[in-house]
Amino acid sequence: MTRIALGSAVLRGTVATALMASLTSTSALGAPPVDLSKWSPEYVRSIAGTQDFDTAADCAKVTPLDYKGRLTFWYQGVFEGDPDLLRQYYKEFFETFRKTYPNIQLEEQALTYNDLLDKFRTALLGNAAPMAVRLQILGGTEFASKGYLQPLKPEDVGYSTEDFWPGAMKAVTWEGVTYGIPTNNETMAFIWNADIFKRAGLDPDKAPATWEDVVKYSKQIHDKLGIAGYGLVARKNAGNTPYRFMPQLWAYGGGVFDEATANPTYEQVQLDSPQSKAALQASYDMYVRDKSVPVSALTNQQADNQPLFVAGQLGMMISHPSDYNVMLDLQKKATGTDKDKAQTVIDNMRYGLIPTGPDGKRAVVFGGSNIHILKPEYVEGGKVDEPAAKAIICMWTSPEWSLKMAYAGSNPGNLNGFKTKWMKERLDNIKFLDVTTSMLPYGIPFPALPQAPEIMNIIIPDMLQNALTGAMTVDEAADDAAKKVKDLMGGL
Amino acid sequence: MTIVTGKAEARRRLQPGWSGALRKIWEHRADYAYVLPAIAVMLIVIAYPIYYTVELSFFKTPPGLQLRDKTFIGFDNYTTILTSQVFWKVTWNTLIWTLGSTFISFVLGFATALALHRDFIGRGVLRAILIIPWVISAVAASYIWKWIYHSDFGVIGAVLVGRGLADQPPNFIDNVSTVLPSLIVVNIWREFPFAMIMMMAGLQTVPDQLLRAAKVDGANAWQRFWHVTFPHLRNVSVVTMLLLAVANFNSFIIPWIMTGGGPSNASHIWITHIYELAFGRQRWGVASAYSVLLFLTLMTLGYFYVRALSGNERKEGSA
Repeated sequence: MTRIALGSAVLRGTVATALMASLTSTSALGAPPVDLSKWSPEYVRSIAGTQDFDTAADCAKVTPLDYKGRLTFWYQGVFEGDPDLLRQYYKEFFETFRKTYPNIQLEEQALTYNDLLDKFRTALLGNAAPMAVRLQILGGTEFASKGYLQPLKPEDVGYSTEDFWPGAMKAVTWEGVTYGIPTNNETMAFIWNADIFKRAGLDPDKAPATWEDVVKYSKQIHDKLGIAGYGLVARKNAGNTPYRFMPQLWAYGGGVFDEATANPTYEQVQLDSPQSKAALQASYDMYVRDKSVPVSALTNQQADNQPLFVAGQLGMMISHPSDYNVMLDLQKKATGTDKDKAQTVIDNMRYGLIPTGPDGKRAVVFGGSNIHILKPEYVEGGKVDEPAAKAIICMWTSPEWSLKMAYAGSNPGNLNGFKTKWMKERLDNIKFLDVTTSMLPYGIPFPALPQAPEIMNIIIPDMLQNALTGAMTVDEAADDAAKKVKDLMGGL
Repeated sequence: MTIVTGKAEARRRLQPGWSGALRKIWEHRADYAYVLPAIAVMLIVIAYPIYYTVELSFFKTPPGLQLRDKTFIGFDNYTTILTSQVFWKVTWNTLIWTLGSTFISFVLGFATALALHRDFIGRGVLRAILIIPWVISAVAASYIWKWIYHSDFGVIGAVLVGRGLADQPPNFIDNVSTVLPSLIVVNIWREFPFAMIMMMAGLQTVPDQLLRAAKVDGANAWQRFWHVTFPHLRNVSVVTMLLLAVANFNSFIIPWIMTGGGPSNASHIWITHIYELAFGRQRWGVASAYSVLLFLTLMTLGYFYVRALSGNERKEGSA
């Protein structure tokens, strides 16, 4: 799909979900630095590189550069599925912070997505948490609702609330109070191997339009070539699973609650609705009926699908913006004929929008991370060095660093990041960035509820596993999951 | 004139009562001082957590609230666990996991020890090689085995398909029927060297003259093993199996890393289920009650372990 064709498709609006209004609505806030209503690949290109920012000068207004203090900081860092480029930027960020604030003694600790919540919860129980933490978007509400976090809004570190995606701000807001600042926000797209499509008799330059097409294409690829068609992921306690199943669930018109609507109330559990069951049935059809997806889907993660894809053993999958760079890294590490095979796959990689449901609804998880400051009573030593915490938060959420730290894998949480020269450079260097950026308006945040991590990391994967292993029928698995959510919301 | 004998003095010293006990402590004050730091550490890192876990098991800890907002509910957490279908499924998994791993590891370790007990060229090298699985990090071993078993591009599957022995790679860990046996194989691979070492040590205590005498009396190899060797190894066998059983009840790393308890709870054992309840779902109260049940089970095994050890000592003392 060419950039222009993609842009036109987006501008035509395909079938925009009601959530688009939710994500981009700014009526209650003020004017954001970019015009979200014009969001398209062309618009993003037009604003890139139009403004310069001086991060050190901006942050000096929040915390003087000669401030002397100490900060303990945990963050969701890079993991095995991330590209090397991201590692370099993380390293560079901490080096720059230490140069900018030479008198702040920073004790940072990186944790992977799947470990961070468990470790952070445990630390909180023992009042041994760090002073500041960067959590996945799913986690903020849980800790805010329990009273662990200090109120913190963009204005506290020199920015405006309007500088951030309204949808992202919802994820850091609990009962009307803001408890954190988004660092980055991303949506995924759809990736396929054009060569595999061609050999399977499919149009190599056309992504499946609907999820029903995905089921059909997956079977065709498997039947004709004997390889996996679609990269299903259903492991429990792994963030990859909800990020890949929820777009399917929402596209079919289902949901855990009404989180896919403009103003969700989270009152009615919808996992047992016919639409949700239809989405689950599609996964069942691919895994059980057609056997057209990796058998390892029940225990694998996206990091397992990446080598399958680059080895030419997988036709298509939902893809993180960083996957193109990951494939390049994997190709560099390959040896002998594998290197050439991997290069062929990379040459045949195509990115497109995530398919729609039967009614034309397109959806994707609005992902990302937020940064928070803890209350002193839960921190080791009972003290929080607020100026030091605000210094690192100001820097990380600045237009410059929120862009650089999301260079290969996400998008800047601070919308001004889209205006920087690094965004322009990034659009030229990171292939297919247009596509993943184009999915942003279709992004749906996870329910902003304290129970969301358990729902997304345990109940949803359990539902998938129960159906895909035959432990339950599709109907039973959906009903069982709905009951678990109801019990959870009822305090059981 | 009363003559105080040594025995009478000893009786006086050991007389029951508070003052006797205090005197005894005072006499051994140096010994107590030596072990005091260790006892203090144990109280902090073992006794208090046990007490707190037992206490927490009687409280409801809603996942949406902080732990300090817990409410007393008596034995409700225990009732919740014991009436839960998942608990019984996980308990069955735990029994299969523990008994299967323990028994097969022991038999394999014992057989290997017997084989290595005989003198042959390369025995030392072979012994060193066989110990490798036991010294490898469990985390590293789990990841390696996960890739060996991988249902799409695992080594075993590739070899079988490559040699035409199977049409498609076998499904080891993505199938509810095969996942637990597959994990047990990994666990046995990792811990049979421990049984082997224990039994090799035991074999060295079997009196050679008895074996020679049995041979002179016409006993064949099996009779010498069954009537001479094995009785001598009974206690070390019991101790080895109890240690393996305790380790297997507590074995977290292999099932958690390889499958996370899945698919569909098919490889959850008590310890992984407790972890998920506590840290994944924040049901601290239920998880604590579950932990108390595990603690009682392990204490029972511990009792038999200590009894087996004491039996050994008594036997040695009377010999």
